[in-house]
Formats: sequence, structure tokens, C-alpha cells
Amino acid sequence: MATAKERLAKTTRFYQIIWALCLIGMFIPLIYPLGLPVVLSEPVKDYYKQIADLPEGSVIAVSFGASASLLDEQEAQFLATWKTIFDYGHKVIWYCTTEDSPIVIRNELEVVKPESYGYTYGEDYVILPYSPLGEAGETAFALNIRSIYTTDIDGTSLDAIPLMQDINDQSGIDLLIFEYTACTSIEWVVRQWVVPYNKPVIATTLGCCGPMAAPYYPTQVQGFLSGSGAGTELEVVSGNPGPGAAMGDAKNLGILPFLVAVLWMNVKPFIGKEE
Amino acid sequence: MASVIGGLIGTLFIIATMSMLWKDNVFFRFGQAAIMGASVAHYTFMNFQSVHTNAIMPIMAGNVMFIIPVILGLLMYSRLSADLAWLAKYPTSVLVGVGTGVMIAGTLRGQIIDQIKQTILDAFTGLNGILIFIGVVTAFSFFIFTREHTGALGTSVKIGRVFLMISLGANFSGELVWYLTQMIGRLMYILNEFIWPLLGA
Repeated sequence: MATAKERLAKTTRFYQIIWALCLIGMFIPLIYPLGLPVVLSEPVKDYYKQIADLPEGSVIAVSFGASASLLDEQEAQFLATWKTIFDYGHKVIWYCTTEDSPIVIRNELEVVKPESYGYTYGEDYVILPYSPLGEAGETAFALNIRSIYTTDIDGTSLDAIPLMQDINDQSGIDLLIFEYTACTSIEWVVRQWVVPYNKPVIATTLGCCGPMAAPYYPTQVQGFLSGSGAGTELEVVSGNPGPGAAMGDAKNLGILPFLVAVLWMNVKPFIGKEE
Repeated sequence: MASVIGGLIGTLFIIATMSMLWKDNVFFRFGQAAIMGASVAHYTFMNFQSVHTNAIMPIMAGNVMFIIPVILGLLMYSRLSADLAWLAKYPTSVLVGVGTGVMIAGTLRGQIIDQIKQTILDAFTGLNGILIFIGVVTAFSFFIFTREHTGALGTSVKIGRVFLMISLGANFSGELVWYLTQMIGRLMYILNEFIWPLLGA
């Protein structure tokens, strides 16, 4: 009979092997891309459809609550979303709701390059600076944008920005994209955009927040991306390749040891003597 | 060369932070302190800038109403003094009051009435709808603690427990995949920002 210390050492070794295999599994596709097939989920297809089905020149507001430390999980979503919006010629108002989001959006637009789509800052897109909105701020934004933001991210008055001339509340916005990283924040848009104004809303969030967004789909939130996997799917459905493809392969191979371990640990008691 | 050095610094911080997996060590503490310090500096600056743009500038422009939120905000700091801590109750009350007022109407319709309506309507649309309906009802029954879980309620509770476990399992797998993604992202960073540029690939 093994002692508790021996059993602990054995379990630790088992975990170390699993994590080592996981690490190897993750590394292989990053060096040799495998191109594993991607299965498209309904929330992602609907997310894309909401953007694609808008008439050209529609105004999309992006409540941008990104976090730099969580970018690995969401970068594929963001890049594919911005490219899709630009592909369809929609106008965009980004309003930053977290401290990191101004840096994140500036960096991403350097990658996507709106000007390569014929976009001009101030006429086709605008970035509003960081403001700690919260739910009450979302309400205020929907009622009166200028009560929250008087200038854009560079300090230019909103009244001097052509895109913002006729937009001052939710009525000037055709679609809201809600980006958040605190799982329960999805309730904010349901309460402040969907219930009072019946505004179409789609959302982007972390993989772990997907189950919290799912109850509101598809009647209240018309589509959502949760995690980098959804970003990979959006890259596929929109035809805009990005970092999600390599990440998807690495994730699929990295999680394989865990799946095998879970299966093995459930089957083992039935086929042999349990230690 | 500059990008390789930047990649090297980033890689060193990643390795320093992850060295905690081996054991607590001076490199981990250095990495942790550097990241915390940079984060605090960034967040402090951004929030000062936000207060400046959203409150100070309007006050300077003659909109004196903005003095009220500034005073309420400053009262939050009264917690730093034991004698004046009670003053922080005023801004807290305003926050709770506004928060409750803003959310209550939307909660009733968006999260209770509409959710119940949709769950019932979906039950007539196919197998998924029926499963969700059964899951919702039985999972709710699990939280009835004023009656003993026997008979029909007991059966419902057992089924509800299965749905709850499936739900928690799905959440847990989401967490695991999320951690893996963060790890993959850092591996991609090391490869793309340091190793490949270093090798000239």
C-alpha cells in the first residue's frame, strides 16, 4: 500500500507529464502550421451576419472594454471584426471603457490599417477616449453621447468631427458591438440597450464568459464571440486570416492530453484495480 | 535589432513570471513587481486623465455642476482617516442608488420576464428547447430548501443536479481552454517577437 506522500508524488508526476505533453502539443502547430478544419458555430455565423447584413455606411458603435493582459484570448476576434466592418464599408465609433482599451485599439488599427480600406479618421471612424462607464455610463451614452464624451481620443471636440455631427444618442447607431471581459457585464447591454431601445447587439468576450452570454442569444444578443476559438471561426467565415488559425491548431493539440487524461481516469477504475 | 531587444525583454518577463511554476524565486518577484508597478502607473494616469477630461475641463469651462461628482469622488478618500470614514457613505449611497435605479427596470424585463417567456416559447420549437426548459425547471428546484427533497421534488432535484454539473463542467472547460490560450499567446510572442527575428526567419 502506497503512503500518502508516495501517492502525492505519483499524482504530481502525472500532472507534470500531462502539462509537458500539453506544451509540446501547443508548440508543434506554432512551428509547423497544421491547418486543422474549423467548425463554425451558430453564434459566430450570426455575429458575422449582423455586420454583413447592415446597409453600407451604417454606423456601428463599439463599447470597447478590452484588457491588454487578455489580448491573447481576443486579438483574433478583434482583428477579424474590424476587417469585416471595413470590408462592408460601415462607419465605426469606438468608445473606450477600460484603461487599456485606447492602447489596444490604436495598436490594432496600426495592424488593420483602415486607410487601406479607403477609410478616413473623423469621417468613417472615430475613437473616443477612456471613460470608466460601467452600466450607468452605458445608459448615459445611449441617451446623450456628449454627456460622457466631449472630445475624441486626440482631444478634438466631437462637434468638430464630421462623423459625430448628427450622432448624439442611440438613435444614430445601427448596431452595438459590446466588448467586455467581466462575464456578467453582458447584462448591462441587455438592460440598457436591448430592453429600452430594442437595439441590435452583438458581443465579444472571453472563452470563459461564453456560458454567461449564451442565455441571451439569439433573441436579445444576436450573436457573440467567446474566446480565441470564436475569433478563428470569424476569420474563416469572413475570409480574413489572422492569428487565430495557428492559435486554434495549438489549442486543439494542447488540450488533447487533458482529454485523454480525463477519459483514462474515468475508464481506469473499470478495467483495473484502482490505487 | 531594437525589436529583438524588445522581444528579449518581453521573453525574459514571461519566463520570470512563469518560473513560479518551478518555485517562488527572485526572478518571479522581480517580474511580478515590475508588472504591478507598470500597471498601477498606467491605470493611475488613465484615471487622472479621465477625471481631467470629464470633470476638471468642464468646470474650467464654467459648468459648475461637475463640482458635485468631484466632491463625491474626493469623499471616497475620507476612508483613509478613521474619524472621517463615515463621509464615504455619501458617495457610496449615491453609487448604490444610481446603480440600482439604472438596472432595476431592465432586470425585470430583460432578465426575468423575457427569459421566462423565451424559455417557455422555445420548449415548443424542438429538442434543444425542451432540454433547456427541463434544465431550467429542475435546476431551479435544486435550490428549493424549504421542502424536503423527496418524491417528485426529489426526482426533479436529482435531474437538476445533473444539469448543474454539466453547466459547471462547461464553465470549467472554458476556463481551462482560456488558460491554454493565454499560454499559447505567450509562446507565439516568444517565437514571433524574439526567436524568429533573432534567427532572421
